[in-house]
Parts: sequence; structure tokens; C-alpha cells
Amino acid sequence: MNVSGKNMNCEEYKEAIAANPSTSSADVDAHVVTCESCAAFQAEMQALDSRIAAALAINTPDLKTPDLPPIEDDNVVNMPFERKSKTPFWLAIAASFALAAIIGVQFAGNGPAGDYSLADQILAHIDHEPGALRVTDVLVSDERLSRVVNPSVGTMDRSVGLITYAQSCVINGRTIPHLVIQGEKGPITLLLMPDEMVDSASTFMGEGVDGIILPVGNGSIAIIGEREENLAEIEQKVMDSVEWSI
Amino acid sequence: MNSNDTDRERRRRFDRVVSVFHQDMYRYAAWLCRDPSIAEEVVQEALLRAWKSLDALREDSAAKPWLLTIVRRENARYFERKRLETVDIDDLSPAQSAMLAEREDSQLEDMRLAIFRLEDDYREPLVLQVLMGHSTREIAELMGIQQGAVLTRLHRARHKLKDEMDKEAAA
Repeated sequence: MNVSGKNMNCEEYKEAIAANPSTSSADVDAHVVTCESCAAFQAEMQALDSRIAAALAINTPDLKTPDLPPIEDDNVVNMPFERKSKTPFWLAIAASFALAAIIGVQFAGNGPAGDYSLADQILAHIDHEPGALRVTDVLVSDERLSRVVNPSVGTMDRSVGLITYAQSCVINGRTIPHLVIQGEKGPITLLLMPDEMVDSASTFMGEGVDGIILPVGNGSIAIIGEREENLAEIEQKVMDSVEWSI
Repeated sequence: MNSNDTDRERRRRFDRVVSVFHQDMYRYAAWLCRDPSIAEEVVQEALLRAWKSLDALREDSAAKPWLLTIVRRENARYFERKRLETVDIDDLSPAQSAMLAEREDSQLEDMRLAIFRLEDDYREPLVLQVLMGHSTREIAELMGIQQGAVLTRLHRARHKLKDEMDKEAAA
């Protein structure tokens, strides 16, 4: 959509105005002064916007603040950071090495990775393997799949969907199978974490993606897909297709 | 500064931030979930989460998008917890009807119903732009989509509403 206004034709102008009737720039304004039809369209869209604004301004009830619990260290939530897909690839790799180094030091020292939640690490990891998220129908071979999901970890049958990526990766200091299947809305990442025990299912969000970490046996499985993807449907398929060896 | 002072200062900051944007949070939630009673619940949960994570808000000037992001997440969590696909808009509850027709203005009511019926993908950026005054870039960041997609959705949303209003006028 051309919103710069340079050499803007009527169709482009109308698209821009319909996206934002109050948009203004020298170039956009230059078009409308020379075109009566577009001037009328702009006036119509601005009138429509006034009606939209009035309609959206619903009355609010008497809003109350809930009882706020005392803040203790274990009561403070670290909001998951957003996945920044615009990060240059080289920077994402450098950052992931730095994160891996921090995590590695902490893991070697005393277990879990300090301030970085499991969800944070998962999102950071996905960011540094963008090549995994290709839309393709080329399946990984049985040989590769069994090498990544090896019998010491468990088994995974192909009923889960088209498996188009399989790689052994490190999350939270542990080597785990990183798989990608093709979903309705795009590639879906599956991280099989047989040693990562979680108490209950937890959801998280990155930029444009939703994720869930599900407890499965003594481990867990993370599923991350596009925001519009029906992850609930995938969850059951994944749970049914994985069997831990441990 | 002792811990009591710190707690009081934290509470003052929270009240300061929330008092400015509480209504925006409610309206955004109401248009996201299209149900005033669910919106109140979502906002309550969002406020609790905001309180617990207040330290993550570095500048008060960034409070509005921060709070709206929390509302957005809480709304998603609410529907996930309840396993509700969507709010049924063909069979309006009394609360939903009241939300649409709180004033005796049939044109306003028609527009509200048309916005109510817009798909989530179109309704949300429209609310963020027209009601919250967000820029295209801010909407893109909040929704996790490209700016081009935001522009397209806004364009389509307005055309859908215009078509609905034209139909109403012709009827």
C-alpha cells in the first residue's frame, strides 16, 4: 500500500485514506487538492470515522481496582519478552550465544537459568533458528527423525503432521529434539523436553506467536505456532504421538 | 528508604498509572471480548498482573501500550481457560444488548452492532486506532503483525462498516 503520496493515483489514495482518514502529508494532500472525487471520499471516510469513534466510546461501569496482594520476591512476575523477528540474523545468533553462555554458566553452577524463564529461552532459541520455520512439504527422513528423537528420549510417530525439520538443540542446558511440523497457518515448533518437568500447562506469547508448555509424564513439550493457529487441536495430536522412553 | 516507603511508593505509582488508563483498559477489553461482564473480569486480572510486574514498566510514559498489552494477553488467557471459541453474537445476552444500546440513538446502535459483528482481526486494529489513538506502528507492535497488514485490515474494516451503514440507510 503506497502511503507516501508520490505519484499516488486515486486507488492508492483511497486505500490510504480508508486505512487512516486523518492521515496527512505534503504528498497525500497534494493529490486531494487536484481530485474532487478523492476529496469527497476523504470527507465521507472522516464522517464515517466520527460515527465509529462515537460508537466505540461505550459507557464504563464504576471500575474498581482489585485487592492487591503484598509484593514479595516470589510474587513478582517477569513478563516474557517479545520475540523480535526483525532482529538481524547475525545479531540474533550473537545474542543467543551470549544467552547460552549465561545459561550455561548458571546451569553448570546450580540448575535452572536464573532470570530467564523456560518460555524466554524457547522464544530466544526459535529466533536464532529462523531457517527451521520454512513453509515446505519436504519431510525429514525417517533416519534423521530417529537420530534426533532417539530411543533414549522416546518415540514420535508421524501422525502428528508433516515433520519438516528435526534438529538436536540445547534448551535450559539440556539437549532436546527440536521439530517443526506444518500447521494450518504456518510452521509449528515442537520442543520435546523429557527432563524438563513442569507442574502445569502454561502459555506464553512472542511477536506474532503463541506458545504452550505442556506437562507430559516426567517431562514437558513446548508447542509454538502462529497466533491464529489452533494450538489446542495440535496439543492433543502431539500428546498422542509422543512416548517417552524414560 | 525502608520497605514500607517502597511499598507505598509502588502503590502510588500504580494508582497514578491505572487511574489514567483504567477506562481505556475496560473499553479495549469490552471490544475485544464483546461482553461487558467478561471485560470487567479481564481488566481485574490484568490489573493484578500489572501490579505484580510493575517493575517491568520502566517509564510511566509507556504505560498505555504496556497496560493494553496486558489486557490483550489476559483476554486470550480468559478464553483459553474457559475454552470458549468466541462470544456468540447471534444471540445477544442482556449485558451485550445493553452495551450496544445504552443510548436511544438508532444510528449509534447500528454502528455498534456493525463493529460488534466485525471479525476480531478487523475490529481490534480499528479500536486501537480510533479509540486509543495508536499509530499504525504501535498497533503492529501490539498485535505482533506487520504494519502493512494493519493498514490492510483497517482499510477493509472501514469498507465493511461503510457497506453495512449503506445497507441500513437503504433499508
